[in-house]
Amino acid sequence: MEEDERIKENDDKEKEEDVQNEKELGEEDSEGEAEVIDEITQDVDEFEDEETTRELVAPGEVLTTEVEKYLPGRGTILSKDRKQIISVYIGLKNIKKNYINVIPLKGLYTPQPGDKVIAVVVDKNPVKYRCDINAKDEAELKPKNTIRRMKDHESKYRHYEQEEQNVDKFDIGDVLIAKVLSADRLNKPELTTVGKYLGQKVGGVVIAIDPPKIPRVIGRNGSMIKMLKNATNCSIFVTQNGRIWLNGSGRISAERLLIDAISKIEREAHTSGLTDRIQAYLESEKIKRGIK
Amino acid sequence: MLLIKDEYPKLLFREDGKRLDGRDKLELRPIKMEVGVIKNADGSAYIEWGNNKIFAAVYGPREVHPHHLAKPDRGALRVFYRMATFSVFDRKRPAPGRREKEISMIIGDCLEPVLFLELYPGTSFEIFIEVVDADGGTRCASTTVAALALADAGIPMRSLVTAVAVGKIDDEIVVDLSGIEDKAGQADMPLAVSWFNNQISLLQFDGNVSIEEFEKFLEHAKDAAQKIYEIQLAALKNKYISIQNNVEKDVEKENKEVEIK
Repeated sequence: MEEDERIKENDDKEKEEDVQNEKELGEEDSEGEAEVIDEITQDVDEFEDEETTRELVAPGEVLTTEVEKYLPGRGTILSKDRKQIISVYIGLKNIKKNYINVIPLKGLYTPQPGDKVIAVVVDKNPVKYRCDINAKDEAELKPKNTIRRMKDHESKYRHYEQEEQNVDKFDIGDVLIAKVLSADRLNKPELTTVGKYLGQKVGGVVIAIDPPKIPRVIGRNGSMIKMLKNATNCSIFVTQNGRIWLNGSGRISAERLLIDAISKIEREAHTSGLTDRIQAYLESEKIKRGIK
Repeated sequence: MLLIKDEYPKLLFREDGKRLDGRDKLELRPIKMEVGVIKNADGSAYIEWGNNKIFAAVYGPREVHPHHLAKPDRGALRVFYRMATFSVFDRKRPAPGRREKEISMIIGDCLEPVLFLELYPGTSFEIFIEVVDADGGTRCASTTVAALALADAGIPMRSLVTAVAVGKIDDEIVVDLSGIEDKAGQADMPLAVSWFNNQISLLQFDGNVSIEEFEKFLEHAKDAAQKIYEIQLAALKNKYISIQNNVEKDVEKENKEVEIK
């Protein structure tokens, strides 16, 4: 009987912990959504965490054998005998509460509902556009998601002219900033261009980096991106699928410097003290290249 | 018609008891690996294993062409093992032959269990293996380098895969057979280990050995694979560690300059 009770107690404790974790996770998510940094909305804490070790792990490496103490988080699996937690990526080991995570250093973009992405229209037919979003599937954009739908009271009092639902709005090759409406393992992701900051982008340059390194380009609380903006006076839009839109409004040398700085960030994403180093790099390069 | 007959030496051991290339019986050839060598690929790796020089490039997950090869419930892993025309002594005909198709298939079958293909239905991963220089044991080297390229591409994997050959020449068990030993020897057993639960992922066998000898083969293969696995891990991590070291050096330099000023 005693043993049974003990087990029950343990179970209860575990449940409590689970609930706590869920709460915390939920809170983090909501914070991430609430943080609006100029034009970017992203949860950023991935890379810079106090408990992030700079320990590199390869796929198949054992992260810990203390299965009772830790739980397998993102980028990890439990071995078949349930005695080891194993990494599935080449990445950095990270311990958050009692979860062991591996933050990948390279990988592919998996669309999630709510992500903002830079999409390129690659094809269109009378029913929908097909867009390349740097994921394994091409995304779909339906005409009804490209126009603002009116609420009933608006149409009564203001005499808006409802746009027609057709595929004349965009052409093949257009660069769009879109939001992912739905995405799962089996179906093609669906996009929308209705919303804040969304729509077609004209002018500027789009560059692509490894999607897992995007959090580093933003930095903790957007510190890196603010610094980049102030140093080069370019407007930047960073999206989760690894594409970055930037526009120096005609100042090509500044754009060039920004691209070089971003590629430096991508290359050195796993090192520490990155923001300071990039700032020093930008300052020295600005003098070298004669950019004001 | 062959004008020159293939002739192998009668003895495969030197008088001092070492092998023809100067190795001990259980010694591996020098191995060098590198990742991230091909810019346009999602992941890539290069290996120099003795005289073998092999490139591997990984693409995916991406759309399957031809489309009928796509599987609705899981991703497809496609391997293309090819030898360059100049990789062997005679000119190798460039069209894929029976041997290349077989090796492509066995490498695919041996790498499939470590991947999470069920996460990517309707797509394909493609591994292109290009043998630039061949000298025995290319299927082992190709498997090793393909696993490395997959890991470099950031594709989720249960573990790496390491392959090594064990064989019998002149009634002696040897590890990592070279080209001549492979052709003139008595037995040859390529073997791949997936380190997830230490399972054997590939085992082929050719020749005559007793059961006791076969068990010894397995032991030696495990020891040799362990050594190669360590080189594999080091190569994979070195890409990032070298960047870190360079950065640290630069920072030190700058600090010194500041102090001098």
